[in-house]
Amino acid sequence: MKIRAIAMNTFSGLVRNKIIILFCAGCICILLLMLTSLMAIRAVRSGQNAEGMQMMVLPLIGQMMTFISGFGSLLAAWSAADAVSAEMRSGTVLAVLARPVRRWEFLLGKFLGVQLLMFVFVLIMLGLNYLLAWIGGATIATSPWILIVYPMTRYMIYSALGVLFVTMMHPIIAFCIVLVMMIATGLVAPGSTATFIPDWLKTGLFYILPSSNLLSETRFLTITRATLRAALWSDHVTALVYGLDYALVCFVLAAWIFHSRSLSRD
Amino acid sequence: MAAAIEFQRVSKVYKRLFSEEKLAAVSDVSFETAPGEVCAFLGPNGAGKTTSISMLMGFFFPTSGEIRVFGLPPGDMKAKEQIGFLPENFAFHKFLTAPKLLRFHLQLAGKDPDKAGNVIPELLAKVKLNGFENLKIGRYSRGMVQRIGIAQALLCNPQLIVLDEPTSGLDPAGRREVLQLLQQLKAEGKTIFLSSHILPEVEQIADHVIIINRGKMVRSGKLQELLASGGQVEILADRVPEELLQGPLRGAMVTTGPQGARILVELARKREAVEALWAAGSDVLAMTPLKSTLEELFLKEVDQPGAAK
Repeated sequence: MKIRAIAMNTFSGLVRNKIIILFCAGCICILLLMLTSLMAIRAVRSGQNAEGMQMMVLPLIGQMMTFISGFGSLLAAWSAADAVSAEMRSGTVLAVLARPVRRWEFLLGKFLGVQLLMFVFVLIMLGLNYLLAWIGGATIATSPWILIVYPMTRYMIYSALGVLFVTMMHPIIAFCIVLVMMIATGLVAPGSTATFIPDWLKTGLFYILPSSNLLSETRFLTITRATLRAALWSDHVTALVYGLDYALVCFVLAAWIFHSRSLSRD
Repeated sequence: MAAAIEFQRVSKVYKRLFSEEKLAAVSDVSFETAPGEVCAFLGPNGAGKTTSISMLMGFFFPTSGEIRVFGLPPGDMKAKEQIGFLPENFAFHKFLTAPKLLRFHLQLAGKDPDKAGNVIPELLAKVKLNGFENLKIGRYSRGMVQRIGIAQALLCNPQLIVLDEPTSGLDPAGRREVLQLLQQLKAEGKTIFLSSHILPEVEQIADHVIIINRGKMVRSGKLQELLASGGQVEILADRVPEELLQGPLRGAMVTTGPQGARILVELARKREAVEALWAAGSDVLAMTPLKSTLEELFLKEVDQPGAAK
């Protein structure tokens, strides 16, 4: 009950958070701009065959969803960092932890509140996926659960990282570190063309940083119906367990640091 | 029966990361608060009051020493269940209304708000916030925020109530109401641990006083004993012969007026002074023991050169 109460309270706070509202407004604006190209394809649809359309539209949807999904990762990291730091900043954490609430319960409540926000985001994203496909006259062959579970797992990683860093530092610095990690993840991924990073560092970072490519749902979106090959269940399980394990390790580390730190109004 | 609060040689030293710079916020503080007692924890700004209260609540960890709350370590779930806490400059989730905030705190205490009956409306009435149920806390005045803070501290019927500056931000009427509320809680047998700068109010309610300055405890004891100790006696006489001022009344503070003389002597010298006045033919009209006020005691302890240095 305690964790649920903190989670619901966190969710209520996050949907009223001005920075997050601003974030989302910016995202919608960029999305609307990207939508114009999709509308252009729809306008010339009559001159194309159906399969050719799929080949054009699906990668475009994939790009748009990559953008939204990437934005979701940033949102997850920022929301988690802000949810914890806002309580410290305002001093509300003192009133909450004066109650019979353990510190890890508080942190878990905050984390789950962020996951609730991200779940709403993922549902909107899912609806948007189908809407975009419908506008472009394409069909999304990927199962809906993949479009929900994969991003949720990825967002769990980034929010756990946000929580981990904010237990030690200012939320903006924590967010910037997560941002750098996201960029670095792309640079050290197998097949990356970044030649300025030595191989030993690439390998090291690859093992340390979260492999968000593995947990990217957009890789399923770019597969057209003609070339669709069902991924094995074991592949899904491995990828998702990897993500959950990474998030769990980050959360446990955050809980451990939070347990031993002094709590005062920042 | 275990003391409600027990500090045993508690110290807290702040140390900067990557620096040798150290600041002793609390040094070797020991005291006990008995159940049912109202304990005033006093000190000037920066004396270490909030640090001590934070350690008591389990927010900070002492560098050395031991703290017990009802015999349990601070931060223990069973100890927390018995504590109601009002932090200094209380802050709340501004998007909540008062009833929603209290429901949230009931849930944090592991209780089902739907089964709490009339607890929330009664508490809101107690702190005079009934009628503001639909107003979000973000729109509350400072005094209203303080009242809702007191209401949440009283939620779940705690045995120990820790209040850090409970009357800050309140107008005189609000302060009087809080004082009456505290007196009512005292009558119910609750233990109250109170930090405040408004000493005349503290004096009306406290049983036990602890004064700290620069992190060190400079005075501790029962309020009545502290106020009586070092007291003086006021003697009213029709006149004071000049020769007495050089003799038995040497060192006494004498003021004369149309209605006679007012002589302030130390408690230990009262008999000598009165007998001297009678012997010199003066008429002693009254003799009243004077107690110092808590404010005088506080200023004496805090202002004296070298206090807790």
